[in-house]
Amino acid sequence: MDTIKIEASERSPGVDFDFAGNIFSLHGESYPEDVSAFYGPLVKALREYLEQQNGAEITFNFELVYFNSSSAKVLIGLFDLLDSAASDNQVVVNWYFEEDDDNMKELGEEFGEELEKATFNMVARG
Amino acid sequence: MSAKEMLAFREELSRQGILFCYSGYITEEVLSSIGNTLKHKLEIDKTDKRVSRGVFSLFVEQVQNLIRYSAEVESSHQSSDQRSIELRYGLLTVGQKEERYFVACANMVPNRDVAHLRANLAKIKEMDSVGLKALYKEILKGETPEGSKGAGVGFVDIARRATNGFEFDFVDVDSEFSYFFLKAYI
Repeated sequence: MDTIKIEASERSPGVDFDFAGNIFSLHGESYPEDVSAFYGPLVKALREYLEQQNGAEITFNFELVYFNSSSAKVLIGLFDLLDSAASDNQVVVNWYFEEDDDNMKELGEEFGEELEKATFNMVARG
Repeated sequence: MSAKEMLAFREELSRQGILFCYSGYITEEVLSSIGNTLKHKLEIDKTDKRVSRGVFSLFVEQVQNLIRYSAEVESSHQSSDQRSIELRYGLLTVGQKEERYFVACANMVPNRDVAHLRANLAKIKEMDSVGLKALYKEILKGETPEGSKGAGVGFVDIARRATNGFEFDFVDVDSEFSYFFLKAYI
């Protein structure tokens, strides 16, 4: 599967989906005009890729500084996808947040609770 | 409006602590541009980052509510291969008074939605942070509610972000519509 790389815009996050390297990242702000239009193709590609993996070491880095409630719905779906894939693969989910951002920290902890099989790390950045 | 009336209006906005006021057809473009200007204003005022983030977040959720749900709507009827244009009318204010920031919005809603909205907001208003967190998760993980154009979690998100609470009200307009008001404080 080809790498997906999308530059961050004012309202949508930067995307780095390196399918060959098994490393994925979302970074920046997320309050796109049309959440389904932005995330739909990404979620579909990720799902197709995950279905084909077995015994892979997969890392997903969430490096968002802000997301709206419509994006939150997509994010929780991504967590679910990643945790399902962790049955047959080693999945690491890293949640980056600015150390003074209590809200993103709290949201990270809440989303992290959803993971039963994947490894979850909270990473504070100064 | 005459100059005198405009000035009186401007003075009333000042008295209320209103920094931004927009009344009109509201779109995602309006959200982007007022949102950016709001960010700049909070930066100039050296607002605490945590407060700024909260105000911005309340702004986004409330404006998206106007864009999606205001019952005062006009749309163009174009052929199926073209994107139809839809404009919804809303009133948005952002301000600061007595050490608190606020985002207040108002829009028309159909009378048939009032009881449900009122009950939903009253329930959320009574919840503590633990309850709100649980509800937030429950909605995110569940099916999107019927009639929702977002995740259906906007009010819960607003309640969680509004560190100084929120208030809401409905005013009867006519046999079809009521005016819905929501003000959240940080």
